Amino acid sequence: MLTKNIRNFAIITVLGFLVSACATGGKRSAEDWYTGSDTVKFLASGVPDRVFFATNKSSVHSAAKETLAKQAAYIKSSGISVVIEGHADERGTREYNLALGERRANAVRDYLMSQGVSGGKITVISYGKERPVNPESSRLAWSQNRRSVTIKAK
Amino acid sequence: MFRSLSLSIIFHVGIFAITFFTLPFIVKKPIDVPPIISIDLIQISEKTALPFAPKAKEIIDKIKEEKEKERVVTKQAPPKIVKKEKQDAVPMPDQIKKKKPKQTDKQNPEEIKDEIRQSSEFEKKELFDPNKIAALIDKSKEESATINKKESLEITQDQDSTVSLDKGLSITQEDAIKAQIFKCWNIPLGLPYNEDLTVRIRLKLNKDGSILSSEVLDHVRMNRPGQGFYKVLAESALRAVRLCNPLKMPATGHDKWKDLQLNFDAKEMLKG
Amino acid sequence: MKKFIFFIFVILFSSKSFAVVTIDITRGNLEPLPTAISNFYIDNPEKFSEKMKALKLEENLPKVIKGNLMRSGLFYVLDNKSYIQQPKLSHLKPRFEDWRLIKAQIMVSGKLKIDEKNRLRVEFRLWDVVSAKEIEGLALFATPSSWRRIAHIISDKIYQRLTGEEGYFDTRIIYVAESGPKTQRIKKLAIMDQDGANNKFLTLGNELVLTPRFSPNGKMVTYMSYFKNLPRVYLLNIETGIQEVVGDFPGMTFAPRFSPDGKKVIMSFARDGNSDIYTMDIESRRVEQITSNPAIDTSPSFSPDGRFIVFNSDRSGFQQIYVMRSDGRGVKRISRGKGLYGTPVWSPRGDLIAFTKINKGKFYIGVMRTDGTGERLLTQNFYQEAPSWSPNGRVLIFYRETASGKKGQGASANLWAVDITGYNEVKIKTPTDASDPSWSGLLSK
Repeated sequence: MLTKNIRNFAIITVLGFLVSACATGGKRSAEDWYTGSDTVKFLASGVPDRVFFATNKSSVHSAAKETLAKQAAYIKSSGISVVIEGHADERGTREYNLALGERRANAVRDYLMSQGVSGGKITVISYGKERPVNPESSRLAWSQNRRSVTIKAK
Repeated sequence: MFRSLSLSIIFHVGIFAITFFTLPFIVKKPIDVPPIISIDLIQISEKTALPFAPKAKEIIDKIKEEKEKERVVTKQAPPKIVKKEKQDAVPMPDQIKKKKPKQTDKQNPEEIKDEIRQSSEFEKKELFDPNKIAALIDKSKEESATINKKESLEITQDQDSTVSLDKGLSITQEDAIKAQIFKCWNIPLGLPYNEDLTVRIRLKLNKDGSILSSEVLDHVRMNRPGQGFYKVLAESALRAVRLCNPLKMPATGHDKWKDLQLNFDAKEMLKG
Repeated sequence: MKKFIFFIFVILFSSKSFAVVTIDITRGNLEPLPTAISNFYIDNPEKFSEKMKALKLEENLPKVIKGNLMRSGLFYVLDNKSYIQQPKLSHLKPRFEDWRLIKAQIMVSGKLKIDEKNRLRVEFRLWDVVSAKEIEGLALFATPSSWRRIAHIISDKIYQRLTGEEGYFDTRIIYVAESGPKTQRIKKLAIMDQDGANNKFLTLGNELVLTPRFSPNGKMVTYMSYFKNLPRVYLLNIETGIQEVVGDFPGMTFAPRFSPDGKKVIMSFARDGNSDIYTMDIESRRVEQITSNPAIDTSPSFSPDGRFIVFNSDRSGFQQIYVMRSDGRGVKRISRGKGLYGTPVWSPRGDLIAFTKINKGKFYIGVMRTDGTGERLLTQNFYQEAPSWSPNGRVLIFYRETASGKKGQGASANLWAVDITGYNEVKIKTPTDASDPSWSGLLSK
């Protein structure tokens, strides 16, 4: 009787750990960048104009690198100058978000330069949380607003 | 994300299934219940009452008497208050509205008289001359000081053998006074709660509980620079005392409580 | 001899039993002080011009005082419909029984007069109804057009006399007036009296303006603007309207504040993804770098003695609050709880630091001691931030935004104030949506 109960308890405990480990909660902050295609415009045919970021982060993840490689190729071939806008979602304090937007825009600039784009062709500007693309107060909207947009300079 | 979600669902379902099958096994085991002990509830007063020492018994009987008298006092008190209210004009604000039209008619011719009366009172009594008031206060301080001295000498000469255990008021009587003052004291909300602010007010009471004199013990501190908070607290305490005048006091034992000191300390309430 | 010793013993013991009965009063009611504010009376109405009469100062001056005292949460002003005594009489010699009947403990009366020099003379008296005596009286002169300031100064005097604290009513608030859709907000600098009157717009709204702050003397404002699409810190002279950019920085400058002596602007400068704190002397234009750290350093705020700076940094990996000496040395973290901390601002009394905290998706306004202990959260909301102190260090003004629907509907931003004890949360009325409020010092200083 006793061994039976110990066995049952052990099975439940192990399964419990497995379930919690698979829960997406712990990983969310590192992975919550937007992966959809809504709000995405195009710098040129086949070249998306923006990349997205995880909450409070400014690192360029692998999917973003793909987009930026395309941007770099286009910028080099067309010879245009660009302005990189950095943005943040509304779930942070205003001043810190200005700095975070600047960091994101510069992360993109650094990557483009690593792909051979000349620094002289790039200007950077942060809008913090002042210019969201999606005005809704929802997780989806916030992930769409955490972005860096590359625009042809005027 | 979807991969982990589906895995999570599978495992959750798995756990539900397992618990559904295993729980009955766990529940089935009988629990050892300790035997029930029956308890008799004994009244302590019946079984363990000790005879009081004779002196102590006298004092306790005295207190019991006073308590009964106090009950009588409180029964008598309400009718007194009701009578007072009827003598004055009706105080209710909404009732005042109704009365206003009548009053304005009367006020116009009366206004001039009032003014004259009041301005003459002004000149005669000079109620708002602060210097005079200060002089009065100082005098009363000296007077009360001499009275205290005299009284303490008289007392020592008449010293009885029975020394009372309490200070002149029983705990219930103290609580009754506290409850009254609590209602009257409007604590200034802006006071800092981390400063040491206690205002001690010495009252002299008449037999009916009305206040003969009131004095802030540390009133010099009130006018010192930088003691703004103390002054504010002292004034609020004085207002409390005056709003509560007359205090409901026990019908007897005036000698014991005619000198009352109230220590106002707002710390507890301001800490929140 | 024996009798004498016995006498001494008896005195010692008897003084104990016949001591004054002492009772500790440790409770009372925490209600606002019931106050009556009588309409003022006009002493020489024949000297009042038609224009002056139209101002109805005898009613409106007390109305402004009433608004101030009520909004502080420390006073309850009784409706004057219930008052018995006429204004003139209550000013000469109040019948205290009349005022006690309506349960007032304090009464304010006043007189208006045009003097020989054609100035408006306002005289007010503060009465302790319960103790039946006058506790304050003052006469003020002003041009009729600044009658509101007189009302605020009187309110400050009443507040100080009854709470022991300096008042905060003779002050102004500068803020950002917002309008338009959330994705393309129009923002203008606006200034108003602390009770919402005399609202004026200072910019046109053609470019984004953010985080305006008063100089210590209330005459200048520093703020951030996207003029010509270059985000920089600017200085604005309120009287002349002249604006100028602060310094010649090759990148974004933001989060500006004045030093307590008004001589320097402290701000963040962002370059290559890194934001550090810099100061610039307004006259000499000398620039000094205060922090030099690859993390984001922003939201700097001086202590009132100018010796320390509190700021926001993510050098630990997350937004936290740090204190350092004004030369940048001795950086110490002071925020201790779970969550993110931002927008630290030092109280003008030097004793507390107010901040915004974000934890589990909720936003809090709180205060902590300057060493980080005693953290108290005052209010919680879906979104709120950026507290600013009243000059007496008792009240915080901040702003809140509501959650918005799919198309941005329901989005609104408003100014709110709360007492540092956490009670008396009030919404501050503004003609448009509003954010980024900053409180001036007392104008009369």
